[in-house]
Amino acid sequence: MIEIKQLAKRFSVENPKKLSEQEKKDPRLKGRFFHSVENVSFACQPGQVLALLGPNGAGKTTTLRVLSSALKPDAGTIEINGLNVVNTPIEARRKIGFLSGATGLYGRLTGRENIEYFGRLQGLSKSRCRQRIEELSDLLELDSFLDRRSEHYSSGMKQKTMIARTVVHEPEVIILDEPTTGLDIMATETVLSFIRSLKAQGKPVIFSTHHLDEVNEICDRVTVIDQGATQFEGELTEFRACGDGSLHQAFLSCLVSREIG
Amino acid sequence: MWLVVKKEIRELLRDRKTLFFMIALPLLLFPLIFGAVTYFTSKAFQDAENEVLKYALIGAQFSPELTDKLARQEGFELVSLTPDVSIKAQIDSGRLDFVLEIAEGYSADVLNHGSNQLKLYLNDAGLNLVFKRVNSLVSEFSQSYQQSSFAQLGLSELQQQALLKPIQLEKVDVSDKRENWGEKIGGIIPYVLFLLCLQGAMFPATDLGAGEKERGTLETLLLSPVPRYQLVLGKFLTIGLAGTISALLTVFSMAAWGIGLAQGMAISFLSEFLGQIGVIDFVLMFLMLIPVVAIFAALLLSLSIYARSFKEAQSYMGPLVMLVVVPVVLSTLPGVSLEGGWAWVPLTNVALAMKELIKGTMDYFALVAIFLSTMVIAGALLAFCVHWFSKEKVLFR
Repeated sequence: MIEIKQLAKRFSVENPKKLSEQEKKDPRLKGRFFHSVENVSFACQPGQVLALLGPNGAGKTTTLRVLSSALKPDAGTIEINGLNVVNTPIEARRKIGFLSGATGLYGRLTGRENIEYFGRLQGLSKSRCRQRIEELSDLLELDSFLDRRSEHYSSGMKQKTMIARTVVHEPEVIILDEPTTGLDIMATETVLSFIRSLKAQGKPVIFSTHHLDEVNEICDRVTVIDQGATQFEGELTEFRACGDGSLHQAFLSCLVSREIG
Repeated sequence: MWLVVKKEIRELLRDRKTLFFMIALPLLLFPLIFGAVTYFTSKAFQDAENEVLKYALIGAQFSPELTDKLARQEGFELVSLTPDVSIKAQIDSGRLDFVLEIAEGYSADVLNHGSNQLKLYLNDAGLNLVFKRVNSLVSEFSQSYQQSSFAQLGLSELQQQALLKPIQLEKVDVSDKRENWGEKIGGIIPYVLFLLCLQGAMFPATDLGAGEKERGTLETLLLSPVPRYQLVLGKFLTIGLAGTISALLTVFSMAAWGIGLAQGMAISFLSEFLGQIGVIDFVLMFLMLIPVVAIFAALLLSLSIYARSFKEAQSYMGPLVMLVVVPVVLSTLPGVSLEGGWAWVPLTNVALAMKELIKGTMDYFALVAIFLSTMVIAGALLAFCVHWFSKEKVLFR
């Protein structure tokens, strides 16, 4: 289970004068600090897929980065299966599988070497790593390209390899930051199938996206973040009800930034 | 940490750019550049030697024999002066290479008439051998006048020598060949080594820091359960190793090509000079290079990890070259030696120590102090790099 309570994270603004007029108007800009996330709370149970929604700049990526221990929060608590992520980040990282649409592969290494490198960094033995790569290769159909340099991969091949890299150490929880952004239909389907399989394995999955059809297809819970705070948290059915059956309307009704303009 | 080193080296060795900068460039390009410079310089001198010089004479009637000698001399072509055009303009236009003005009263009888005055007008900018060629011709006349004057005076060979050189100052150099040559070229070696180490480390550093950001692999790497200092150490060692290998390959290749190209005399000089530098001194020079490479690797990695992209990293690294050149150039300046405050100037002290090692005059206690102080600086920079690598505003700019 993943549980986040009253998460806050601010960044210092190096030169406030250089900000655009719109950025200066953002209520989260307070003095020399930009409060990217101010009050975010949500929880995701085993076997659930939680959709993290929000407009650009809402604080989704910051939230996921803090959740994955890449960033330290200024306030709030994060627990993964009872383990405090903030106090014990190294231990927490062994439990987390993180995949972002913006991440890449080492192009001059083969897919196998990419997966093996991260598996070894996660503390897997050489033989266990090889065994896991074989298992993932069968599951994700990587065999035909796994020994080619990843710089020559198609987007689908890359995505499959990155998925394998994310789960090579068998993480307890999975965090996905806009994993389908920029992907073609086939590559997107690979990601969605992967999420379904994780759900079937009883793992909690947190999944940020802009595609409401994907939310409708695979998610159980929804959290909407806007202006750095949780605006909605609940079951997908409750969320849909907010928009009279339309996810699109439901999403828009949750946004405070629309009121601010 | 070793996992990171192994992976980084594997990846670097698969990169054509790195292989080019680390191996091909030191092995082939530098010697080719030196070879090309040598070839074109010697060709330019040869052309200047064989060039037909167009000249004009003023006062030719005062020395018919000199006029005649010039006219018969191969490689000289007499051209008449254009009236109403200045000598400078005629030389600048290329119509003439030189004008020789013979003063009135020119005489072979120097005992009675005194010294003869000749004026040579030429454009001495750029490579030309006009003065040398005219002077060698005039010297023949000068010597002949000298000899006939001595004959007239009835001077013995001994008296002639005494008259020509009333005082003979003999130079007795007590320095051995190693110290002598070490003083002359010892300053260049650390200069070349430092720059090659820096240049060899630059590309891997860019790839291992900013490259990770650009590829989008940094975040995934940071989320592995490996302490940040181990990630930094792995990258740091790879960069340092690349810089050292690049420098050593370059030096080896320059020495091999130098011996091959120079032949004969140069081989005996080089082998004699290098033979005098003991193996221990070579090893010590290499050891002194280690903290220097560590300083470069820590600085380059810090800059690279701060940069958002390859391009940004390269723009930060450019000024670093100057930061290295200045202290090393200081060590080559006259009067700068491993004494007083200079012994504590970072990099300058290492360059000076290397020079002393080449000369064979190094105080080994001072060497230990320099090595340790440079190691402390390298350690501090590495610590900064580790701290830098843990800062969110650096990693997620």
